[in-house]
Parts: sequence; structure tokens; C-alpha cells
Amino acid sequence: MRRTLKTLAIAALAIGLTASTANAQVLFWSNQAVPVEETQKMREQVLKAFPGGVDFQPQEPGPFITRIQAETETGTGAIGVVGGLYGDLANFADSWVDLSDVDLSGVAVSPAFLELGKFGTSEQKFLPWMQANYVMAANKQALQYLPEGADVNNLTYDQVIAWAKNLAEQTGSPKFGFPAGPKGLKHRFFQGFLLPAFTGSEVTKFRSAEAEQAWGKFKELWQYTNPASTNYDFMQEPLLTGDVWLAFDHIARLSEAFNQKPDDFVAFPAPSGPKGRAFMPVLAGIAVPKSAPDVAKSKELIKYMMQPETQVATLLATNFFPTTDAALPADLPASARALGPAVQAMTSSPDALPALLPVGLGDKAGQFNQVYIDAFERIVLANQDVRQVLDQQAETLRQLMVTTGAPCWLPDAPSEGPCPVE
Amino acid sequence: MSGAVATADKPRAVSDIGSAGKFLFWAGVVLLCAWVLVPIYLLAVNTLSSPQQVTAFPKTGVPSFDMGSIQFFLSFEGVLKALWNSVLVAVLTMILSIAIGAPAGYALSRFEFPGKATFRMLVLMTRAFPLPLLALPIAVMFIRIGLDDTPIGLALVHTTLAIPFAVLITFSIFSGIPLELEEAAWTLGCNRLQAFHKVVLPLVLPGITASAIFAFTISWNEVFAASVLTVQNRTLTAFLLQSLSVSPLHLRFAGGAALVIPALIFIFAVRKYMFAMWGIANR
Repeated sequence: MRRTLKTLAIAALAIGLTASTANAQVLFWSNQAVPVEETQKMREQVLKAFPGGVDFQPQEPGPFITRIQAETETGTGAIGVVGGLYGDLANFADSWVDLSDVDLSGVAVSPAFLELGKFGTSEQKFLPWMQANYVMAANKQALQYLPEGADVNNLTYDQVIAWAKNLAEQTGSPKFGFPAGPKGLKHRFFQGFLLPAFTGSEVTKFRSAEAEQAWGKFKELWQYTNPASTNYDFMQEPLLTGDVWLAFDHIARLSEAFNQKPDDFVAFPAPSGPKGRAFMPVLAGIAVPKSAPDVAKSKELIKYMMQPETQVATLLATNFFPTTDAALPADLPASARALGPAVQAMTSSPDALPALLPVGLGDKAGQFNQVYIDAFERIVLANQDVRQVLDQQAETLRQLMVTTGAPCWLPDAPSEGPCPVE
Repeated sequence: MSGAVATADKPRAVSDIGSAGKFLFWAGVVLLCAWVLVPIYLLAVNTLSSPQQVTAFPKTGVPSFDMGSIQFFLSFEGVLKALWNSVLVAVLTMILSIAIGAPAGYALSRFEFPGKATFRMLVLMTRAFPLPLLALPIAVMFIRIGLDDTPIGLALVHTTLAIPFAVLITFSIFSGIPLELEEAAWTLGCNRLQAFHKVVLPLVLPGITASAIFAFTISWNEVFAASVLTVQNRTLTAFLLQSLSVSPLHLRFAGGAALVIPALIFIFAVRKYMFAMWGIANR
């Protein structure tokens, strides 16, 4: 026994020391399409046809950033293409090669997105890869409880509250659901929907009287919210089980509900507030790091990703919509058919008010989100005084803006120097 | 005091106490078994159920032997390679941490040297710094010296994490072996090395196995360093764990089983060395 153990140990050491990799595939390092099913589809349906093969590696934010930092610092790396959200890519603007020479051969990319991909320089730092948004979804059974005169495609925050109240009182239990779980995207709701809808601002008016009013409204809504919401990360699951009849979430986190029971659910735009129908578009881009092992090959992959067939395949894999004019096929899955029009209705509504994901915060983006999460937990869960909490959190927010020096982004007015918190 | 007890408390029949003790004993056994087995059972049932059953309520508690979730993982590109990498890194970590940790533990228990107490404290310091903080400089260094993306490189990092446990566990095990046993071996003609090999080693084997298992599981469960330091040679945890937390429930169960079962098999394989610690040797 001891001899076999010894042999095993030596063998393991030998393998460990000699194992080497010769891999000609392009390494696609992404913080999108992380859920295993999406990863599987990205590999099998989107990237399989690329000549030479692609090694698609989705990552959590921590390792994602650390690895890019390490490769940027040493100037040598394994990553061929980086896929991430606008804000992630903005952190490393100097590390990306100029993509303006990638021949897109007739693919029309949204000009606004292309402009964002330049980060205000003359170089095309990234190409827009795919886009998403957040919407509301409801079980069709809930529609009969809509408050009188309310149009589901044109709701206000007051109407949503009245609707949730009707649901809670007439079905016997609270049926509004909110992704307030540990991995839920609750902070996006406050940053991009609730606060801008009432204040017209994401950062500057954080502690204004309007913000106080917005939090008051949300507290009102919370009375009619399923208390299990603090465990919900993806709203598709409680919608499917019937615990929740009315919910807000990222479209990729609602899609399974529509795919499994297409006839049971409807999707519609987020509500509007006094300042407009605020929403947070999510833009993911693809870039090539300067340290890529084979820049030409990486650019080929970028070109491949922008082709209409690939863009449609990406939509089917991730539920993120194309950024190009790619024609959508008629046989789209139920989720895309239901969610696409809802996003369209929201972004093109007359009172549309886009609020962007944070820009220029670098690795402080998590702390930025924490400000909103803390405000939510203190005001809504712990029932603390709204004014006092906002004053204290505003102080944290202000310090964060000063440390990072991040100027304002939409919908806040452009600022010289760090974005002020009034 | 003792008199009062004697008058108030009539002696009870030995069989009474025996049966109460027996009850407690078996209740304890059942509780401890349930503690370990119920989660594994739930994991198994949900892995072998269809997605609908996993989200359905009430649960039947009986699997429907729907292989969908398992098949998904078997066809998931790279799982087998990641599994192999995980085993390789974990075994390397085990070997390295025992090779370095056990001699340190022996030295701590047998020799007096200046700074011994400080050393025992300092050994723990490797756990004082969070990995996300260290990962960047380590990655930069590994890329520069060519250790990046190799199993041995990752095993070195995991070894530093496992060493405090290896040193402190083996230290206490060696301290439990009387020095006289070794001295007796010396008087009978053994040199230091032979005495260690023939007398001490068989006695401490269970303890060494325990710390080896510890090293194995530390490496098996570690995610952050693994996902930063390996790119094409991913370990199973780096490969699956972070994707699982944002995946549908039935796949989480299946993925959980995929992560747990290899570790369980390993622990079963070495269990006899563990049990030897409580005198049920080599069965």
C-alpha cells in the first residue's frame, strides 16, 4: 500500500510539473453569460462555427477584473477577447487595441453605441456586443386586479402600488416580488428606475426631497411585497411557482418564466414617475486587450461576433438583444417575443429617461452599489428615518465620487471633476 | 452534601441506567448520521429529479431518476478535464503540504529553538490575508516566471493555505507520541531517521491522513485563486462553482453533486487511515 501511494505521489508530481498547454483557440474572457445553461449555448450555438475554435470562459466580477489587471500589468497574456459591460470595459480603456479597422462588411451598428465604444477618444476601444434592459412581468391572473383606468403598458408608480395593494388584499397574500436577494439586482432598480423617475438624477440628487418621496413610495410598495423577496435573486423562479404574480427584474432573469409557461405571463415597461419613465439600458461590449497572444485572430472573432447570424444566436443563448440591425427570425423563443416589445415600448416611450450604469468607478463599482443597497436595507427593512439615512449615505457617496474622481453620467448633467452629491 | 445525596437518591438498578444510556447513545448516533446524510440525500434526490419536480412543492422525497441534469453536466464542455485538474491540484497540494508541514510539526514538538512560540503564531499568518488581495500580485508574478496556468503553480498557492493546518495538526499529533518510545528505539540500535520511520510514523499515520484530507478539501474548495491563476487548465470549482450560483435550481443541485461526489469518494478511499486514529485500525 505504501509503495503504491509513493508511486502515485511521484506520478502526480511528474504530471504536475510537465503538464503544459498548447492551445490555439482564442480565449474569450467574459463576465456575461455566466449561468451554466447560457455558457453551454454560447459555446455550442454561438461560437462553435468560428474557425479555429473559441475557449469561452465566463467569470465572476472579482476574478474577471483581477486577471485582466494581471495581464495588463505584465503585458503578456492568454486572453484574446474580453466581453463585459460598458462600465467594466471603461476601467481599462487604455488596455484595448483600436478596433476601427475591423471590417464589419455591411453590418449597421447602432451609432450611439459605437460612440460610447470610443470613451471620448478617436479610437474604437470596444464594439457593442449585445444589450439588455429591465422590465416588469406579471402573471396573467394578476391583470384582473389592475386599478381602474390603468394601462399596463403605461403605468405610474402610484398605479403599481395600488395594483400590488389590490393583489395583496384580494388574493390573501402579498403578490408583488422584488429581487432583493443576496445576488438580486435590487440596486439597479434604485439607481436606474426609482430614483431617476422621481429626481431625474442617479447621483446628484441622492438626498433631495424628491428622493425622500421616492423612498417613501417604495416603502409603501414594500407593505404589499412578498416578504420572501429578500431571498429572491432571479424573479423567474417565484413567478413560475406562483409565489409572485407581479415582479421587476433583468430580462435575462425573467426569460425562463416566459419560456416554460409562455401563456401565463405578460411583460411590460417599468412605471413612470414625476420626472419620466426612467430605465437602465445594459450595454455589453467586446474588446481586444493589447496583451492578446494573437491580435489578428482576436479581431476576426470580433468581426464574427458582429455578424447578423451570430447576433441572433447570441440573443437565443443569452436573452440579450442585438446591437446591430440584424433581422430577428420569426421563430424566436417565447421570452424574446414577450420581452423584446416590452423593452421597445419602454425605450421609445415619449417620457423615456435612460439612466446609465455607473461609469468610471473602477473597482469601486461594488461600493457604489452598496450605498444604494444600504439605503434600501436601512430605510425599508430596518425602518429607519429616511432623511437621516439619506444624509449619511449621501456622505459615503460623495466620498466615493471624490476618491474615484468620476464625472457625472446620464441622466445627471455633465460635471467638471467628480460628480457632485448635492 | 454527599450524605444528603445518598439518602435522597436511592440506588437504581444497573440495567435502568444501561437502557437510558443506550437510548442516549443511539439517539446521538442517529442525530450525527442525519447531520451528515440528510443534506447528501437531498442533494442526491434533487440531482436525480426533473427540473419541474425540483421547484415543485410538496416534495415526494423519492427521486424520479430523471437524468436530464446529470446529462447536462456530462455533456458540458470541459467538465472532465476540469475534474482531472482539480484532482491533480488537490493531490499535489496534499503531497506538498504534508512534505513541508509534517517536518515542521515534528520540529515544533521535539526541539527547543529560539522563536518557537513566535513561529507557531506566524504560521497562521498565511491565512490572515484575503486571497482576493493577494491574487493580483501572485498572478503578475506567475505570468512573469511562467508558473501561470499550471497545476503546480496553483498547488503552491493552495499549499500555503493548507500549511498552517498541516503544521498545527501534525504538531499536536507528534506531541502525543511519548519521546520515550523514540528513545527506546535509539537504544535498540535505530538511528533518528529509522526510529522515526519504524516507530513514530506508524503511530502518527492517522493524524497525517487527517491533515492530508484537510489539505485536499482546502484545495478542492478554493475558488478565487483558482479562477485567476488558471485559464485553460481550470479546476472544477473555478469552472463550475461561480456559474452555479446564478444557474437554475435543478442545475445547482446537479452541479453540487458533481462537486461533492469526487471529494466523498476520496474520503471513503482514505477512511481506514482516519479510523485508525480511534483504534479501529485497518479494517
